[in-house]
Amino acid sequence: MGRYLLRRALSSSIVLATSLILVFLSIRILPGDPVLARLGAATKVTPEALEALREEAGLDRPLLAQLFSWLSDALRGDLGVSYISQFPVTQLIGERLPVTFELTFFIIVLSCIFALILAPLSILKPGGILDRFIGTMTSIGLSIPGFVVGIIFILIFSLTLQWLPSLGFVPIKENIGQNLQLMIMPSITGALTATPYLVRYLRASMLEIKQSSFIRTAEGKGLSDSRIMFRHILPNSLVPTLTMLGLIVGYTLSGVIIIEYMFGLPGIGSLAIEGAFKRDYAIIQGVSLVIISLFILTTLCFDILCGLVDPRLRVAKDRQNEI
Amino acid sequence: MRFKKRFSISGFIVLAIVGITLSAPLLSPYDPYGIDVGEPFLGPSWTHLMGTDDLGRDLFSRILYGGRITVLIAIAATIVALVIGTLWGMVAGVQRGWVDEILMRTADATMAIPQILFALVCVSAVGSSVISLPIIVGLLLSPTTARMARTAVVVELASDYVVAARATGLKKSRLIMTEVLPNIAPQLLVQLSINAAAAVMMEASLSFIGLGIQPPDASWGTLMLQGYGNLWNTNWYVFFPALVVTVTILAFNSYGERIRVSLDSRKSST
Repeated sequence: MGRYLLRRALSSSIVLATSLILVFLSIRILPGDPVLARLGAATKVTPEALEALREEAGLDRPLLAQLFSWLSDALRGDLGVSYISQFPVTQLIGERLPVTFELTFFIIVLSCIFALILAPLSILKPGGILDRFIGTMTSIGLSIPGFVVGIIFILIFSLTLQWLPSLGFVPIKENIGQNLQLMIMPSITGALTATPYLVRYLRASMLEIKQSSFIRTAEGKGLSDSRIMFRHILPNSLVPTLTMLGLIVGYTLSGVIIIEYMFGLPGIGSLAIEGAFKRDYAIIQGVSLVIISLFILTTLCFDILCGLVDPRLRVAKDRQNEI
Repeated sequence: MRFKKRFSISGFIVLAIVGITLSAPLLSPYDPYGIDVGEPFLGPSWTHLMGTDDLGRDLFSRILYGGRITVLIAIAATIVALVIGTLWGMVAGVQRGWVDEILMRTADATMAIPQILFALVCVSAVGSSVISLPIIVGLLLSPTTARMARTAVVVELASDYVVAARATGLKKSRLIMTEVLPNIAPQLLVQLSINAAAAVMMEASLSFIGLGIQPPDASWGTLMLQGYGNLWNTNWYVFFPALVVTVTILAFNSYGERIRVSLDSRKSST
């Protein structure tokens, strides 16, 4: 187990470091000057002033030196200052991270509930009407962009029925009722885009378990269908689904970018979009670092958890990496 | 029977969408930029099939022209992803060893960066245009294509026919081009279809947040953004672009899935 943990941690660190270097280099190598972006529409800027601004931002130094100082500062929790507002990026992200975490939490809880209802229903009679209906809905769910689902919800619940507000955010500490009310639509929107992946995976996993010999034994013993489903099939199919859940948590952390933006939630997703609009590279780099780290850390934690629960998966993962 | 096997609704819809959008100038009933201030936010009617927008422009014509931009971006991005991804995966699969290790770890690292986030990074650096968007989207889709191509090449290289071809003295480069590449083509076609769906989704997402195609040009994502901004004035404006985007992504995904299933059944029957 120790070797497995070490290997997984090492490969995740390599992937993390490479992705961060890729993001850093993409910003630096691609055409587009951050200093010019900071100046915006300002005219009559002398070349000397431009050079001074570049020096101030450390952009005159060699690329490798910039990369190392960014990474070493990031390790100490310093992500630099915003090129536009001059606020520390760590502070900006810290203020917005709780919103993203809250939304991600609701999305994951809801999608797990939906998947735990839909997957058992679809394998009651594989190939039956209900199974095919859920299959079709899953395929449609995989193809609808999250913001289209959000638009449909706003049309129904805000415009037509006028039950829920479509925009805004109230911190949970200030008013829990209003906070939850404003979180309902973004959470369900996110959950409906994450659920199809979970349902597909859980259904496949449950179907495989359903065909195994120990289930035939349980049927032979005369156990009721519900007992077989909830006592034997479901618990055994949850372990492989954990890996998928880890990926979904990771993807949700980034998938909330557009949901936050369209529902006016002040999370790190909308911070990234604001940064992209203003070409504030410090913010984009900082948000990328946080999201990528969270993504890799989450998948790593879920992988380790799966390895702990089911030792066969450790061997399978190692073999997969060898291929 | 043969026709039945080859006919697929999703394939037909894909062809129809590509055909209709690319021939927008021939099918469009109105000038997509033609402003008629007297007729804003009209609902669907025989005169304006999908209604009009805030400036009285015919929405059906704008969706046809917008579709042309979206579909062209998706096609170009898919080609970029196919060329780069196939080369990337083939080099890794043929060379193996440290080259394979470096190339595949780079693909893993790229795939660990959420696509929409990486797209934001690239768009903020180079800006968005009909030239930059396909390149950005294509580059973002190439690692998944590379992974798939590499796996397919490794499997093919271990096949008996490759061993036999090598034994006859066929050069490796020639073997790859004349034997391996045609054999992995169906799998590339599956990836092509999935990539096209992902490209439409990404273009629509970027344009929806205002970082994609800029007005007065319009893609389906831009139209959705404008429709979303006018949601309190009319529901139709956002409904039609949202519908065509969803149908297009669904058709590409279903077509890819269909080819994959037929490939799997062909494999299992042999």
